[in-house]
Amino acid sequence: MHRPPNKFSPPGGFRRADHQILYPLCDSREKKSLQCLTICKEYPSEVLLQLDPFLNELTSMFEKSKEKGSVWVTLKRSSLKSKLQKRKLSSAGESIEYRCLIRATDAKKTISTSVGAKDHLRFQASYATILKAHMTALKKRERKDRKKSTEAEKKEGTSTTTKPKKP
Amino acid sequence: MVYIVSWDEFVDRSVQLFRADPESTRYVVKYRHCDGKLVLKVTDNKECLKFKTDQAQEAKKMEKLNNIFFTLMARGPDVDLSEVTGKEPMETQPTKKGRGRKQ
Repeated sequence: MHRPPNKFSPPGGFRRADHQILYPLCDSREKKSLQCLTICKEYPSEVLLQLDPFLNELTSMFEKSKEKGSVWVTLKRSSLKSKLQKRKLSSAGESIEYRCLIRATDAKKTISTSVGAKDHLRFQASYATILKAHMTALKKRERKDRKKSTEAEKKEGTSTTTKPKKP
Repeated sequence: MVYIVSWDEFVDRSVQLFRADPESTRYVVKYRHCDGKLVLKVTDNKECLKFKTDQAQEAKKMEKLNNIFFTLMARGPDVDLSEVTGKEPMETQPTKKGRGRKQ
């Protein structure tokens, strides 16, 4: 079954347990090494950062994408452990600690960070501030303008007659 | 992809979807400054819920949804959301030990 490549599971590369994407080392076969290079260009690896550097990088991503481009932010629950580690922990009777994995990309590079139960409130506040500061291109509701335009239309339409009262 | 029109429906269904499968559900936000568009997507790789908008007031609602998801994902899917949504205050006021009426 052919799986279309997406930025989270690159062909020829594999995802390490800490979500780092690795590519096979170029071996003597030229074809494979060329393929390796092209894959690297198409799917740059993901950088796992600490909370504050992540927020700084996210800010710069938003600033760079003002003229054109998009910024994607993905939130997912993850324990950041491989299946093997999970099995070991559950068989040992220990509870698996889950964290919130946050990824951000602007199609050129991807950054990520993980937030635990203790720091999610602080992160949430800083994240909200960044979004508020940068999502400025959205339209604001122009209720006042709408009212003015509808009133103007009514005045033009019904000059002599009074407005009929609707039950 | 069909977009959900009602914000409240989007929120309710997304939280339901997450609680049903917290391992594979993810919440994606895409923002395009040049087009002034915001698209939200919640999927568990089987079902996909999407919401798009160009209104600034929806961005404010999205911030609340962000908080909801941060709480759900960091603390666990069984967390009581009334703290986050602010509908019912969970904080119990400290009971004052009264000695009775002041005489």
